[in-house]
Amino acid sequence: MNESENNFEPLRRLLALKRYEIPPPGYFDRFSSQVISRLRAGEAGASRAIAEPSWWLRLLQAFEAKPAFAGTFASSLCILLVFGIVYAERPEGIMPNSPVFATVSQPVASLVSATMSGPAPSSQSTGLMINTNPVLSLEPAPSLFGQQNPLVQPINVSFPISGN
Amino acid sequence: MIMAEPAERQDAESPAPVDEEQLVRRARRGDLGAYDELVRRYQERIYATIYHMTSNHDDANDLAQESFIKAFQALKTFKGGSSFYTWLYRIAVNKTINFLKQRKNRSHMSLNDLDFNAEHDPDLVALISDKTPRREAGLTELQEKLNAAILKLSEPHRLVVVLHDVQGLSHDEIAKIMDCNIGTVRSRLFYARQQLQGYLSDYLRPA
Repeated sequence: MNESENNFEPLRRLLALKRYEIPPPGYFDRFSSQVISRLRAGEAGASRAIAEPSWWLRLLQAFEAKPAFAGTFASSLCILLVFGIVYAERPEGIMPNSPVFATVSQPVASLVSATMSGPAPSSQSTGLMINTNPVLSLEPAPSLFGQQNPLVQPINVSFPISGN
Repeated sequence: MIMAEPAERQDAESPAPVDEEQLVRRARRGDLGAYDELVRRYQERIYATIYHMTSNHDDANDLAQESFIKAFQALKTFKGGSSFYTWLYRIAVNKTINFLKQRKNRSHMSLNDLDFNAEHDPDLVALISDKTPRREAGLTELQEKLNAAILKLSEPHRLVVVLHDVQGLSHDEIAKIMDCNIGTVRSRLFYARQQLQGYLSDYLRPA
């Protein structure tokens, strides 16, 4: 080991010259106060945020470092996209079987049909009917348990026109 | 001002452990005055290590400050298994290596001027004297070649050379900082010196 140390002695002396590389004059007089003032000012959190890249940057760095990872990620996205398109273009195959669709659509459909097909008795008495038809706006909130909201009922409002 | 000249002596007579423990304890409780004392104690060594790893003053300044800030934030996790300065070195070294990995594609060197006193160093005078094969080599050129050669080393090899041959740390201290065994430190040092000898053969005279 000593022999190898001797072999490297000129190199060691050359490397020791690096000790002469110095920071600007007065640098170390200010250094600690800068660190402390940064700590006092609460810049610690900010510096950590700057030093540590966001998840997006880390993801990009991971892509750069591992192209295979980027390929896998892109393939997954493509598969998801194709699956989404195929799934979206087949609503008939999905919607009727959906329990949510069945529960929600039933009371709405019945309300609409009742309103549309029902007689309009007020029209006979008044001659002029103003139908505000609030069914759509006041439709009962669909319940996943198949119950209508008893507090909200569809109504038809007719105003008699007098003055004749 | 000569930077890092007394590095070996500083490490040999490391600060009184009791004082350091007290300072660490107080700093852990949020006493910035105590932490200021710790920063002053180690700022030159931490800065010098980072500077010799990056060869850039601005980067070294940022990394050194961030290392001290991170150390303060992580003080609660410091168990005292190693000395504070070994732990601090580890933070600085990890931060620097991470930075260098990110900077890999960015090739630039912003070197500081050599200290005026360097001109009077007998080794340097000999290096640029008539006996040197490259007589025309001036201070700046020598500095540039030296730094370029060091930057060609991988980060672990560069770190070992910087800590041992520039900073004057012992193999044992380097092993603790790098969290590896002494054999690894020795083999890395040997390989790094061989590499450097090849890069700097024009400037090296036989002992």
